[in-house]
Amino acid sequence: MELLLQFLSNTGYYLVDYRNLIMICVGSVFVYLAISKQYEPLLLLPIGFGVLVGNIPFFKGFGIGIYEPNSVLHYLYFGVTTGVYPSIVFLGLGAMTDFSSLLAMPRLMLLGAAAQMGIYTTLLSALALGFTAPEASSIGIIGGADGPTSIFLTAKLAPHLIGPIAIAAYSYMALIPIIQPPIMRLLTTKEERCIHMPEIRQVSRIERLLFPVAGLILCCFLASASIPLLGPFFFGNLLKESGVVDRLANTARTAIIDTATIFLGFTVGASTQADVFLTPKSIGIFFLGAVAFSIATASGVLFAKIMNLFLKQKINPLLGAAGVSAVPGSAREVHLVGLKADPSNYLLMHAMACNSSGVIGSAVCAGILWSFNVV
Amino acid sequence: MYGIAAITAKNGWAMALAGALIVMTGLSVLALVISQLHKLAQLIENRRTAPAQPDTPPPAEKTIPSFNIEEIKTRYGLMAQQLGDSFELTRLYHLARDSGFPHVHLSIRSLRETGQLVPLGDGMFSWQK
Repeated sequence: MELLLQFLSNTGYYLVDYRNLIMICVGSVFVYLAISKQYEPLLLLPIGFGVLVGNIPFFKGFGIGIYEPNSVLHYLYFGVTTGVYPSIVFLGLGAMTDFSSLLAMPRLMLLGAAAQMGIYTTLLSALALGFTAPEASSIGIIGGADGPTSIFLTAKLAPHLIGPIAIAAYSYMALIPIIQPPIMRLLTTKEERCIHMPEIRQVSRIERLLFPVAGLILCCFLASASIPLLGPFFFGNLLKESGVVDRLANTARTAIIDTATIFLGFTVGASTQADVFLTPKSIGIFFLGAVAFSIATASGVLFAKIMNLFLKQKINPLLGAAGVSAVPGSAREVHLVGLKADPSNYLLMHAMACNSSGVIGSAVCAGILWSFNVV
Repeated sequence: MYGIAAITAKNGWAMALAGALIVMTGLSVLALVISQLHKLAQLIENRRTAPAQPDTPPPAEKTIPSFNIEEIKTRYGLMAQQLGDSFELTRLYHLARDSGFPHVHLSIRSLRETGQLVPLGDGMFSWQK
C-alpha cells in the first residue's frame, strides 16, 4: 500500500500545477495551428509537441527534465545552448536559397537592411523596460524574424531566455499572415501597391558562384561574430551553386536541415517548462516581440518609399515588408497583398530577393549585437 | 532603472545607432559589390573563351539552369495555393511565366515527374500537399 501511495505521489496527476496546464493548452494550440491551419507546420508542430513533453509534471531528481544534467532531453538541448542547431539550419538554408533575383536587382538588398531597424528599436524598448543589455539584445533580434538567429544569439547572451524568445520568434513568424498585411496596407497607397517591378534578368552561373564567396568575406570581415551563422550559410549556397557536389547539397537541404529542425523545435518546445517559462519577463518578451516584428515590417516599407524619392525606376514599397527574414512567409504575403491591389502584379521573385537579403541582414545584426555585449 | 535613464546607463543609444549604421553600411557595400559581379563574371568568361577563339566575338553568356526540385516545389507551391484545389497546367504555366520564374516548362515537367502535380483527369491537376 505504501509503495502504491509513493508511486501515486510521483505521477503527473499528483504533481501537476495550473501553470503546467496553461502550457499544455499553449502546446495544443500550436499543434492545432500547425496541423489544421498549416501555419509554419515545420516549426510549430515540433515546438508544440515539445511544449507538451516539457510540461508533463515529473518528480525532480530522476534525470528526466531538460534542465536536469545527464537527462536525454538535456543532451539534445545541448545543440541549442551551444548554437550548433542554428548553424546546421543555416547550412541547409544556404543550400536551399537561390540568390538569382537578388543578384539581378542588388538594390533590393537595402530593404533587407532597413527591415533590421526593428531589432534596434526593440533593443531600446527592452532596455527602457529594465532588461539588461544582453537580454535586450536577445529580445531585439526577434525583429529579424529569424528563429535560428534568435536562438543562436540568445544562447550566447541570455541562455535563461531561450524558451520565451524562441517561442515568441516562431509564433510571430507563424502569424505573418495576420501581422504584416495590415501594416503594409496602412503605410502604402493603392497606387504604390500597384507598382509593377521590372522583369528579372538572367543571372550567369559565374555570378552565382562568386556571390557566396564575396558575401562571406564582406559580411564576416565586418561582423566576425556572425561566422557561425553566415559561414555555413554561404558554404551551403556554394555547395548548391557549384554543381559538382549535388549529393552534399541535396543532403544539406533535406536530411541535415530536417534533422536539425526536428531537434531544434522539439527541444525549444520542451524548454518551456512552466516554472521556468511562465514569468513576468516572458510576457514582456512577447509584447516586445510583437513590437519588434511590426517595426521591422514598417521600417522596410518606409525605407522603400524613401528610396522611391531618389529612384527613376520605382520600387513597390510592399517589398520592404519582405526584408524581414521569415522565408518564404513574408515574401508570400507581399505577393498576395500586391495581387489583391492588382491581379496582374507578381512580386514573388522580387520579394524572395528581399527575404534572402533579410536572412543575411539578421545574421549580421546577431554578430554585431554579440560583439557589443562581449566588448 | 527604467526608461530613458536605463537606455543611457546601459549605453543603449550608442549600441542601437552603431548597430544600425554597421548593418546598413555592410549590406550597402555588399549590394554595390554584387551589382558589379556581372562585369567580373563577363571578364572571367571572356578570358576563358579568348584563347580558343581569338578572332571570333565572345559567345552569349551561357547560363546553366539551377535545378533544385525543393526550391521549385516551394515556389510553385505558393502559386498552386492561389489556383485552388484543381487547376489547368496552362494557368500554372502563365502564372509562373508572369512571375518571372526561369525554365517554367522544365520546372512543371519535373513537378509532374516527381508526383508533385497529380493528374485528376480532364486536363485538371492538383497539388500534392
